[in-house]
Amino acid sequence: MSYILNTQQADKVLGALAEKYGVYAPKRFVNQGRYSATDSIRYDKVSSASEIVWQVKSDYPAKEVINPIQQAIFYFTEDEYRASKAKEQPVLIFARPCDINAQKIQAKILAGNGGFTDMYYERMRERVKFILMDCNGGDDTCFCVSMGSNTVDESDYAAAVKFSDQGMEVKVIDPELEPFFAGCDTCGFTPEFVKENELKVTVPDLSDKEVRLALKKHPMWQEFNSRCVSCGACTVACSTCTCFTTRDVIYGENPEVGERRRVTASCQIAGFDQMAGQREFRSTAGDRMRFKVLHKFHDYKARFGDRHMCVGCGRCTHRCPELISISATVNKVNAAVEEIKASMGKA
Amino acid sequence: MNRDINVKKVRLNCFRQSKVPGVFMLQMRVPGGTVAAKYLTYVQHIAETWGDGSFHFGTRQTFDIPGIQYDDIPAVNEYLETYIREVDSEMCGADMNTVAHEPHPWDPKSGYPTIGARNITGCIGNYHCICGNINTFELARKIESIIFPSHYHIKINISGCPNDCNKAHMCDFGIIGTSKIDYHPERCLGCARCVEQCEHAATRVLSLNEATGKIEKDPCCCVGCAECARVCPASAWTRREKPLYKVILGGRTGRQTPRAGKMFLNWASEDVILGVLKNWQKFSAWVMDYKPEYLHGGHLIDRAGYKKFKEIILEGVELNPECLVAEDIFWHETEYRSNFNVKPLSMHHTAGPKA
Repeated sequence: MSYILNTQQADKVLGALAEKYGVYAPKRFVNQGRYSATDSIRYDKVSSASEIVWQVKSDYPAKEVINPIQQAIFYFTEDEYRASKAKEQPVLIFARPCDINAQKIQAKILAGNGGFTDMYYERMRERVKFILMDCNGGDDTCFCVSMGSNTVDESDYAAAVKFSDQGMEVKVIDPELEPFFAGCDTCGFTPEFVKENELKVTVPDLSDKEVRLALKKHPMWQEFNSRCVSCGACTVACSTCTCFTTRDVIYGENPEVGERRRVTASCQIAGFDQMAGQREFRSTAGDRMRFKVLHKFHDYKARFGDRHMCVGCGRCTHRCPELISISATVNKVNAAVEEIKASMGKA
Repeated sequence: MNRDINVKKVRLNCFRQSKVPGVFMLQMRVPGGTVAAKYLTYVQHIAETWGDGSFHFGTRQTFDIPGIQYDDIPAVNEYLETYIREVDSEMCGADMNTVAHEPHPWDPKSGYPTIGARNITGCIGNYHCICGNINTFELARKIESIIFPSHYHIKINISGCPNDCNKAHMCDFGIIGTSKIDYHPERCLGCARCVEQCEHAATRVLSLNEATGKIEKDPCCCVGCAECARVCPASAWTRREKPLYKVILGGRTGRQTPRAGKMFLNWASEDVILGVLKNWQKFSAWVMDYKPEYLHGGHLIDRAGYKKFKEIILEGVELNPECLVAEDIFWHETEYRSNFNVKPLSMHHTAGPKA
């Protein structure tokens, strides 16, 4: 059933939902942007519709709700340990198609990859239901259509919402949510998906191993040695990046009492791949950039088969302090691949 | 050329005497160094009609137009009416019918009523700059109506951040935009990018605690530049909603005792800055026995002594809770002549109302 709500009704319904669920949505944090007098938009708990920022894309992805930047995984004392407790409260996340598709990718990596399921991801993901936010087209960094992540299936969400200044239209799929809308006016709303982005990205064909090896050595990556500052803002903002490290926090003087946390890590930050003997596989910004780009636009698909890892949300471009555009970078890869294929007589 | 010209009167009208008798340079006020670009046509018109066709960027961010004949000053002033009205009166809210807040009717055809409080300068600030913490020219416009028109001489420079590109350290009353920063450990990756940046660009107050993977801060020495917030990849450092300010007092250049200013206020709110400046006239008037001289504010503080300055300037100002005030200030002057201040008692300056 679909409903139409004015702003007061929308606030009331959100308030009621927030009593049962942990409701998360993009929220404005005034003056907390990178530069002064700019805001940061990121996911947080909400209890009214008016708190939800729907007009623009959030700076940070919905993954933060499911995969927080840090969480305690277990607590230890001498020879015992106890896993952190799972929370009970069910969760609703307002998310655009790119963020919902990103969770399918995160699930591939964290739940079932190599026959191992990440308990911490799984127990959180089980509590989550998505409320699809109608995407009004995003911005000029978005290329979801090129990455095939502009649409989702009805089975992917519990309800779909289109916000406007007047309130919201909702299509409720999950019967569990129906009672919250009892008494609201019905309408014929069905969600629509973005059909075309201003930005289009063509992903190069890297199926040829010789081409891939040549691309690895191509001088195009050297550009990033001077441009990229290796801060990792792109991977923190990425809808799909899952990498984390673990860190033990010791509570006091006894080094055997404390907790182990998992903390988001970034392949872009120096030291990510450091091994015993200080050996690093990717010691330059260009190497790290190459790793990330090929991971998002080749390696993941080569392993899991179904689709590329990048959902085209454009947040990495949006958050890069050095104005490195992922779409422009993929275009440069395309040009390099053409050049390599021509030189190998494979064009 | 033999003309009887009261150059002091002409200077008070913002026309500066030149090497050539009878030829002057107009200085147009540009509070905070930013006005609509359309006013460049005014500059061009004045320069090409009455000046020598050239234009100079004043060191205090005024539009300077040299080569104006004394006899043309009335025509220039008449043409200036729109500029003064729109910029000072309407944009900044300066009451042109007062001088030092006392009633003093302004003849709009007569140009600037006084040169007293000098043009407030500003860097571009956070209107544009990625490092700026404040909108410098919006603050300058608020201050303009407090200090102008007034015959008392004060030089105010506003810098958007502690990098102080606009040299708040080299004027009477330098204002630097800062931010108090909040740390969100739950968003911190422990990458220490902020630690590197603070060491490289600021005061080295951050360090990575290896035992917790989190950042520790020595808040005492933080200059409030917000570089940590700018470089953090995860928004683990964020600015508080309202910026705060440092005031750097008593800096100056000059032929006698140039010196860099020293910090008078730290973490002051905008209300405190405006409140303090509202007391500036009162302080200046008191020091000079209510007779403005061609002497800028830093010298007045020397004559009265910092403690007397502090007493008058903070009168009725309610300090915000974070605000810190210098108990004393010891400037370090360049003495071009050693023992510059040692001289016969009869040559000493005094301060305060004469009996």
